[in-house]
Amino acid sequence: MPGAEARAGARAADRLRRLLVVVPYVLRHPGTPIGELVERFGIREGELVEDLNLLFVSGLPPYGPGDLIDVQIEDGRVWIGMADYFSRPVRLTRSEALALYLKGQALLGSPGLEEAPALSTALRKLEEGLGDEVLSGLAGRVAVGGGGHVTQAVATARRAAERRERLSIEYFTAGREELTTRTIDPEHVFSALGNWYVVAWDHLADAERLFRADRIRSVRETGETFDPRGLLGAGRPLYTRSERDIPVRLALGPSARWVMEYYSVENVRNREDGRTEVTLPTKELPWVAKLVLRLGGEAEVLDPPELAAMVREAARATLERYRTPPA
Amino acid sequence: MHPLERLINLIALLLESRRPLTFDDIRRVMPAYQQSDAASAKRMFERDKDVLREVGIPIELAPTDAWDLEQGYRIVRDRYELPDVAFTEDEVWALFVAAHAPGEGGEAEQAFQKLSTTTETNVLAAMAERTAAPGVDASGPHLGAVADALARRRAVRFRYRPSQGKPGQREVDPYALVFRRGHWYLVGRDRGRGEARSFRLSRVLSAVKELGPAEPPPEGFDASAQLEAGPWGLGRPEARARIAFSPKVAWWAIASTQGAQILRTRRDGWVEVDVPASETDSFVSWVLSFGADARLSGPRAVKDQLVAKLEALAGDAGR
Repeated sequence: MPGAEARAGARAADRLRRLLVVVPYVLRHPGTPIGELVERFGIREGELVEDLNLLFVSGLPPYGPGDLIDVQIEDGRVWIGMADYFSRPVRLTRSEALALYLKGQALLGSPGLEEAPALSTALRKLEEGLGDEVLSGLAGRVAVGGGGHVTQAVATARRAAERRERLSIEYFTAGREELTTRTIDPEHVFSALGNWYVVAWDHLADAERLFRADRIRSVRETGETFDPRGLLGAGRPLYTRSERDIPVRLALGPSARWVMEYYSVENVRNREDGRTEVTLPTKELPWVAKLVLRLGGEAEVLDPPELAAMVREAARATLERYRTPPA
Repeated sequence: MHPLERLINLIALLLESRRPLTFDDIRRVMPAYQQSDAASAKRMFERDKDVLREVGIPIELAPTDAWDLEQGYRIVRDRYELPDVAFTEDEVWALFVAAHAPGEGGEAEQAFQKLSTTTETNVLAAMAERTAAPGVDASGPHLGAVADALARRRAVRFRYRPSQGKPGQREVDPYALVFRRGHWYLVGRDRGRGEARSFRLSRVLSAVKELGPAEPPPEGFDASAQLEAGPWGLGRPEARARIAFSPKVAWWAIASTQGAQILRTRRDGWVEVDVPASETDSFVSWVLSFGADARLSGPRAVKDQLVAKLEALAGDAGR
């Protein structure tokens, strides 16, 4: 069965790749605790021991006792001997080196990155290692954009999160189009889906809030500090469910499908007419009304009826602007 | 015998051998290839070579003697081993942060694992001591492969899930890699559609397969122009629009729109702005997102589209 064979080959490649970094590491650090290898290389302990047991029966011809790699596991520590030919890791493949290099370049474009000086020297060393023949092919073919106008707010919030400093911000709530001044305790700053977010305790709402950095109009340091509450940072869901959520039901047309990627939706059902029904939980209807308006007919409100009424009302109010001559 | 054991033995043999070894030489000393059917042993060896190449081990053919009569396999140590790169502790940390964008591992992480093995820095201690910096968004596992194809001017094929419509196969002549608003994009000519398109790498669903030589980008192609994106869509905007924003939203509309120019602030506080625009649905949709807090006065074609959509949404042909 060629499929199964290809999969077995892929698995062997992954295990080989892993073993060829673990062995040089143990050769350099004799007696490394298994726990350290598990954590550092992200391997499960069972797999690691299985791989080491295979190593133990490998070596050079004629594969007599004196030709085999020596592996000892004692008291949860690992020693490897008779494998000097594996004392250095394999070179980076072109695509490994390029992936790391480009990710580094992208990160360098992030505003307020404290690691920036170290990262740029590390990337320069990587460039030297990559050699001209790899990088010259990319000259003029890679462009990395920065964070735009959010730089200042992001940089200030990151610094404050690190030093646990309370901030006062002017924040723009989309949907209600309100500008409010809030005192916040920022704990994390991260980027997701192309936007920067500040995770903070909001003293105005007396609750945890996620602020989009581009909607922070101004930031002021208060001079006070705070004790972190252990809020979740990067990788968290952008929407926090609650029992008070209103389950909005929408039918999305093909060009409104991006909504499913951008917001957390549930109960997705593809209809025969090409539209997709989704439930979008929300705490605020005016915001969803704006979203539906923006989708310009590509989204139909199925539920609740008051949302459909809000959309009609918003459309009429907007039309009104075009009926009355500008001031 | 486990394939992994056979692969390790093969690498060890070729690294330690003083001269290139023919398959027959290898077969003579490695019991793993000594089955009676020589053809199937050879096939197994060919597959093993593919795995080694996939892992990045430079197995190559070279003459076994000065007379060039026979070719054998070898692994040259200098091309196998990672050269010494002296990274400082801070540099190792910075690379760790770069390699570990949230929610993915992949090639950048493998590269990091290799590089950090030869440094004296205690990576675990560094990881424990510091809080992770914000990462950029996950680019998916294909960044390295796409960059490699771009650098070597190869066309690529992959399965892609567009933001609108069904997933499908794409064949692309790569023009550039662009990092825009937290995402990596491949910009290139979509062979099926015969025009330049932008592909978000996180939406690539399959491995990236190389097809052969790629067509070069059109004369005057500028990768950095692809960084520009805004209400008008991607690339350089073709038109300008005049919009008045209410005092509540004006600051945000202006701050979040690259290239917006304030024309004047009216006595009622509304701000008239000249913004980069296009006659596309996405631009109309951007103006609509402000609701009654924005009024577009031109171009005419955009205004007509906008009003038509509003009338449909108002559900009563704007009584």
